Amino acid sequence: MSTGLDNLKHIVVLMMENRSFDHMLGALKQKYPKINGLTGNESNPDTKGAIVKVQPNAQFQSQLDPDPDHHFPGVDLQIFGAPPGPGRVANMQGFVKDYFSQTKDVNRSHNIMYYFTPDKLPVLTTLATEFAVFNGWFSSIPGPTICNRAFAHYGTSFGQVGMDIFYILDTAVLSIYERMVQAGHTAKIYYYDQPSSTMEIVNLLKNQPQIFGTLDQFISDCAGNTLPDYSFIEPCYNDHPGPDGGQILASDQHPDHNVREGERFIANVYNAIRTNPTLWQNTVLLVVYDEHGGIYDHVIPPACTPDGKIASADATGTGEPFAFDRLGIRVPAVLISPWIPRGTVVPGTEDPANAQIFEHASIPGTVTNFFLNGDAKRTVREQKANTFLGLLTDQMRQDDDCVVFNNLE
Amino acid sequence: MPPKVIAVPTTDPGAYNPNRPAGTLLQAQALHMREALISHVHELTTLLNIDMNSLKTEADVSAYVHRATALLHTRAGKAAKK
Repeated sequence: MSTGLDNLKHIVVLMMENRSFDHMLGALKQKYPKINGLTGNESNPDTKGAIVKVQPNAQFQSQLDPDPDHHFPGVDLQIFGAPPGPGRVANMQGFVKDYFSQTKDVNRSHNIMYYFTPDKLPVLTTLATEFAVFNGWFSSIPGPTICNRAFAHYGTSFGQVGMDIFYILDTAVLSIYERMVQAGHTAKIYYYDQPSSTMEIVNLLKNQPQIFGTLDQFISDCAGNTLPDYSFIEPCYNDHPGPDGGQILASDQHPDHNVREGERFIANVYNAIRTNPTLWQNTVLLVVYDEHGGIYDHVIPPACTPDGKIASADATGTGEPFAFDRLGIRVPAVLISPWIPRGTVVPGTEDPANAQIFEHASIPGTVTNFFLNGDAKRTVREQKANTFLGLLTDQMRQDDDCVVFNNLE
Repeated sequence: MPPKVIAVPTTDPGAYNPNRPAGTLLQAQALHMREALISHVHELTTLLNIDMNSLKTEADVSAYVHRATALLHTRAGKAAKK
């Protein structure tokens, strides 16, 4: 066990919305070749047969409207480039075609290939290069938000691949928060505020209100050294008036919400931990996205160990059932701690000999392993998922070696 | 030596648009909230329909109080977050 792990007292997870790895971090490959991003030659065909290359033209807002398709049939087309049929193989060639089905405009369908340059995302790209970035963190299902977030909370989606309410189907599976509380630990879900609230786990809001807090409480808990053992943070999911008549912007980065506001949110969460010297030394922060949001990524999702669940052909909408035997599309994931060396790149599928593949079941799996010694009942996917605390080392970086963000008021 | 400080650019003031049509995710969130509220109503209705005269024993009362407290506590928990 490393000294960093010996010192660890808090795990904090911030889950953002609907952006792919290449879209947010792909440009880093140019300066950091170990990061499995974009060469600039990746492409998709459009509906007229033209080759559309990735381009560094992503904008903060107004570019991905309508919201790119990220439901199961759409993602299936994005991955395979063609509808289900004999002999097809995953090739990541269907993103432009799928976006055309929404935009009905060939030129606008090309927007799905756009990516950000690092100067536009100073927060996420700085954290990715200053701490650890995962080349192989994938969404758990090639589908939308609800089922993917379920893997972060429960380690399963209970066989669901869509947006339906599923959690009442199997009450024997406990959320990571319930497991923690039952074992005498502390855990909290911090949603932004009541008008934004929590996403997807309203069953816990009804039955376990004590495990919820707001972002203001998170900031206060960080300052007061009262942070729970495990914290899960939700960004603001909608634009709404503030309590004083001001304007609260969505910070989840879900298209078409402003990406820069999400940058500021990530920086705020980071700073809340970073500026408390005690907390900074004994906390690890994971910033991860729930799914790719229909936006291009070049890495073919790998297979995974099935958990025995089957989504029917009707449920998938593709005409074929899904056995939960492969992961969804790759998402940005960054692990932050002063015990992580600058420039750590966790290899993914580009380095088969050393690949460490992660998915959202890695979150409850890691928390259960660390705080509960793996004693609590874990799902099949959690048992098979890699855990991420092995990235903490024996060497803590000096205070002046770790960045701080400002201009956040 | 102080740590490296990175200034985070401010968001475009024109970004705020509460009149933006709600997407499928927010629609689903509202639906989930509604489902949760329905189960609250069921429990509340069940409790209100219990005849107070039927609570004869300490066990009867404690069972009723238990369910009422659980429901009220949940509501109080929500209100406390304002």
